[in-house]
Amino acid sequence: MNSIDLAIALFLLGNLVVALVAAARGPTAADRMLMALLFGSTGTGILVLLAQAMGMPTLVDVALLLALLAAIGGVAFAKRAWQGDGHD
Amino acid sequence: MIDAIGTLLPIVGALFYAAGTLGLLRFPDVYSRLHALAKADNLGLGCVLLGLALQAEDLAVSLKLLLIWPLALAASSAVSYAIARRAAHLGVKPWRRDSP
Amino acid sequence: MSLAFDVLLALSLIWSGVRCLSVERLDRAIVLFIAFGLLMALAWARLAAPDIGLAEAAIGAGLTGALLLDAWGALKRRRP
Repeated sequence: MNSIDLAIALFLLGNLVVALVAAARGPTAADRMLMALLFGSTGTGILVLLAQAMGMPTLVDVALLLALLAAIGGVAFAKRAWQGDGHD
Repeated sequence: MIDAIGTLLPIVGALFYAAGTLGLLRFPDVYSRLHALAKADNLGLGCVLLGLALQAEDLAVSLKLLLIWPLALAASSAVSYAIARRAAHLGVKPWRRDSP
Repeated sequence: MSLAFDVLLALSLIWSGVRCLSVERLDRAIVLFIAFGLLMALAWARLAAPDIGLAEAAIGAGLTGALLLDAWGALKRRRP
């Protein structure tokens, strides 16, 4: 059971790395910010899988916090940072 | 039976995550990427959380795992709404098949 | 399996840190900084230190990222 959870966490981490490499050369600022949101949801998944695989229920709290604070970054981007000027 | 479902659901969730990442990499404009990210990824997260809640020994841990999902749904829909509204306000055109 | 996870995590951590410092544009550096904070939180979780992971997820990935994005927006508003 535990090794299956760790394998899924490894798969999700691979997902994350692919998105990270794409984010570094993404076309517009909004796309890069969407990658950051993807990191939030995928990171939550990886953390709950690690909590089960390592037998550490405390990591669920870290996942909860990450799910909350990824949203703050996204809202800060949409409301304060994204000014347009040619969708650079 | 419960164990089998609890093992199978995270695998299904991982497939949804892969679909979300693929959509994010391949879709043509901000709105469709937002659609892939907000829906597929949160469904994947829901599958993973439900499977892990079935695997967990402690009832409190299961309930906490299930509590993450509505929180993630609310946060993700709020962020998607804010980004899509900002994009529409800045005049980002939705992609069409005949547009370049 | 766990060795593969750790190696991939460490390599992506180093890569995102180097890119965050070497990239030219500020917005890319901010997104890479957020990604670095999240990977660092995962690394602390993997090292069985959930308390430091909690602090890193809150400060590194969440609040500092939002503050940096806000500062970047203020810079762009100041000199258009």
